[in-house]
Amino acid sequence: MEAKRTLKKISVVAAAAGAAALLLGIGNVYAKKPFTAAEAEDQQRELLAMVKKGDDLWHSDKLGTNGLACANCHPDASASNPHTWPKYQTDLGKVGTLRDMINWCIMVPLQGQAIDVNSEQMVAMETYATYMHRGVKLAPAKDEQHGGVPVKSGPGYPTGDDGNR
Amino acid sequence: MDKFSRRDFLGLSFKAGAATMVAGLVTPSVGSVLGLGGVAEAATRKITPFTFAVLTDSHLFDIEAHKFDAILAKGVADVNNMKQRPDFVIYAGDLAQLGKEAELSKGKKILDKLKVPYRIIPGEHDWYRDLGKAWTGMFGADHWSFDHKGVHFIGMNSILIPDFWTQRGLTPEERMGFVAELECHQCGPWGVHEQQLQWLEEDVKKLSPDTPVVVFTHSPLWNYYPRWNFQTSDATEIHGILRKFDKVMAVHGHVHQVVYNQIGNIVSAGVMSTSWPWPYPPVELPYPNIKMNRVDPADIYDGLGSHELNLSANFDGVVQYHAFSDVLPDNVKRGVKL
Repeated sequence: MEAKRTLKKISVVAAAAGAAALLLGIGNVYAKKPFTAAEAEDQQRELLAMVKKGDDLWHSDKLGTNGLACANCHPDASASNPHTWPKYQTDLGKVGTLRDMINWCIMVPLQGQAIDVNSEQMVAMETYATYMHRGVKLAPAKDEQHGGVPVKSGPGYPTGDDGNR
Repeated sequence: MDKFSRRDFLGLSFKAGAATMVAGLVTPSVGSVLGLGGVAEAATRKITPFTFAVLTDSHLFDIEAHKFDAILAKGVADVNNMKQRPDFVIYAGDLAQLGKEAELSKGKKILDKLKVPYRIIPGEHDWYRDLGKAWTGMFGADHWSFDHKGVHFIGMNSILIPDFWTQRGLTPEERMGFVAELECHQCGPWGVHEQQLQWLEEDVKKLSPDTPVVVFTHSPLWNYYPRWNFQTSDATEIHGILRKFDKVMAVHGHVHQVVYNQIGNIVSAGVMSTSWPWPYPPVELPYPNIKMNRVDPADIYDGLGSHELNLSANFDGVVQYHAFSDVLPDNVKRGVKL
């Protein structure tokens, strides 16, 4: 009963907020005030620093033991297909995430040791692969090999000085 | 030299499907458009039919018993066991991964087990540790031509890039490291450059237009995906020089995949590696039906293979992709006509 009433209250508030937004002519409804330009910039900087870390790891031959890097088979993180995960993956033998697959690739084709799935390294690689597919429609389990976003120059993400923004 | 514009060239190589038709409209001077199936409108001179084989992109590491050693060895064994014994083998570059002499000599040792002669051109991975010193010491000239049973064969070094290392004070290892990344955004697009263009012009000067020509470069002679150097920067000039011929077959490595295109009188095929397969880049393929399937990353032989090219008396060619695993759709399995 209590829960129902709370839900009702929330929906009323949400409706009011939506109406207010409409009145103000704003397209988005925020849980709190929109981030300031400075805040948004900080967040973007943090994100891109993580993308860069991931890019470096993706191109590193230190994750494995046979000289190979993720980028050997997945230049620009192509064919990592971040938009299709989670899914049942036959090599994993289960429904797994992109992180599981990154570890599988480190262990099998690269002949290395799996890394902690919650480590910053893993977050970085997942961030890089996903960022290189920005704008690609989510399609869990879709049987598709995606080339990623087309890249003209630079590393494929904004670095501030390569006109890639 | 009669050239068609860079813009037209880019336009017709990027537009899929109708590309060659559009090309015919936009640049009628390009020459007769070949129907898919490779029948030239103007007949080339008759030749003695024969077969040759193609291997490429082994990317050998200086690591003992590396898995890629075994895959190249499998390619060599495959060629040696071909039912139709090839007259020779062309190796289309990237024998080594990091341009080390040890990698190249390991590769040469494996290639020397071929029971037929082979000719070789360099790839970027062979070259940028010592700027071709070890490679040329081992294999000789990086561009060449020869005639065989009525066909004129040309091989060129298509991976030349302007000096980006001296000013930055890069060590040979650092330079090689940059170039070894497919996305090499530090080095830019590569090509055959002026000296080889002059050589090519001279090489084909005395040949009549009905001479059957096969040209080998490491990278494609069309603008496929420049980001990954799936291109040759002076392909337009090469097309211009070769335009006088009724029909030219171009075969290239570098892309580690099955891919096909026709531009004017040049019909080209990309072939599989013996190291790892590359995904199709985020651009439309000009001939989307001629490609390989997705590979199973657990199978180290998947997406890789050797190739034979059969040439008929009329200079019709068929590329037989000998995939080491079942990665080819039926139409490609039957052979791709050039």
